[in-house]
Amino acid sequence: MVKMAVYSTDAIVIRSREYGESDRLITLFSREKGKIEAIAKGARKPRSTQRGGTQLFTYADFLLYRGKNLDTVSQAQPKESFIHLWNDFDRTIAASGMVELLDTAAPKEQPEPELFTLTLSFLFLLRHVDPYIAQAAFALRLMHSAGYLPALDECGDCGKSLRGEQAFISAEAGGLVCATCKNNRAVKALNPGSVALMHQLYKADLGMLDRLRWNKKVREEILGGLCFFCEHRLEKRLHAWRQGSEFI
Amino acid sequence: MDYLHYPRSLSDLIIAFSRLPGVGPKTAGRLAFFLLQHSGEAEDLAEAIRIALRDIRQCSVCGNYTEEDPCKICSGQGRDKTMLCVVEQPRDVVALEKTGEYKGLYHVLHGVLSPMEGIGPEQLNLSPIFQRLEGIKEVVVAVNPTVEGEATAHYLSKLLKPFGLKVTRLAHGLPVGGDLEYADEVTIARALEGRRVL
Ligand SMILES: [Zn+2]
Ligand SMILES: [Zn+2]
Repeated sequence: MVKMAVYSTDAIVIRSREYGESDRLITLFSREKGKIEAIAKGARKPRSTQRGGTQLFTYADFLLYRGKNLDTVSQAQPKESFIHLWNDFDRTIAASGMVELLDTAAPKEQPEPELFTLTLSFLFLLRHVDPYIAQAAFALRLMHSAGYLPALDECGDCGKSLRGEQAFISAEAGGLVCATCKNNRAVKALNPGSVALMHQLYKADLGMLDRLRWNKKVREEILGGLCFFCEHRLEKRLHAWRQGSEFI
Repeated sequence: MDYLHYPRSLSDLIIAFSRLPGVGPKTAGRLAFFLLQHSGEAEDLAEAIRIALRDIRQCSVCGNYTEEDPCKICSGQGRDKTMLCVVEQPRDVVALEKTGEYKGLYHVLHGVLSPMEGIGPEQLNLSPIFQRLEGIKEVVVAVNPTVEGEATAHYLSKLLKPFGLKVTRLAHGLPVGGDLEYADEVTIARALEGRRVL
């Protein structure tokens, strides 16, 4: 029998599904290896020691066996369960939207230590920051760092400054474009106020995010625009983002 | 598994088995060959599936699986009609009934809120609860202690608050991440006693 390689890493559970009789199929975003798919056998049994560590959003220390397609969880020791994400449905939706986007955008088994720290910070931030502000800020930073959303303050085509201007978000254009450049591309319009706030959501220190405010119109424009952009750019339907729009 | 070497109807059977939860391609093949060699068992199985699909429906009141509508619990004598217990799945009703501790009514959601899987309130048997609240004094939210279960419980309790009911949640005994279905009867009974107000 081949000796299986064992490795350890701290990771965030970004997806957790019931599998078979009592297993869980989980997607981890780990500090060491980036995105990992793993199976936690028996994790739904009441006496399983992997129960807590394999819950969605949980940050835990993992010991994993390397597998051909799927790694196997050997130990999962929770470090933070983020209880605040469970007992408020807006927070559940926002955190779901964040990890769903991360799962879609992050390539498999490619270490992204900065993105890891960013994700962990935002899960903590959801304790006191408006959940949808946090979701939008996270999406902007994630898409930018993954190279999907290059420019936020100028038109991606002609380079004109978008400060105080109406702008258009478009996956075809690869970001924001001005009114002259939008042409016949599929776009969502953003009013000057939304463009300015989007810039702050992206640039502001994490400690300042709780000071940002928006009204319903700006919120809908930004979240709607980002959902439209990310779905087209990543070519995947974002369920949690669409769920969110039913509530807010 | 290479289905091309099998006759079409056999590979269809194997594929049908492999779609069942917890059944991999190898097990699916083994089950299919077993049934071909034991035609008596195969006929019984086919008949049982056909009858179950024909006779079992969801109770129009509580959503539990039943042969008669409303189900025995909803129409039954001797049930405490001031208590309503909300569960995820029909199998959770069985787990709670086995304890013999609970005498109230049930409401089966057929799932929990799971934004990432696209399951919102509309996808669940959730809004009919609000047509059942007359005479109810306490709602026990007995969903599994998972993230999705917790989120569902909190969502539900927020909507139930304006009705001035006591809303409780199963408490200690059920560890986070465990399935009600796998908990033993003593554990469930203890969780029922220790339920806490949401
Ligand atoms: Zn331009
Ligand atoms: Zn019923």
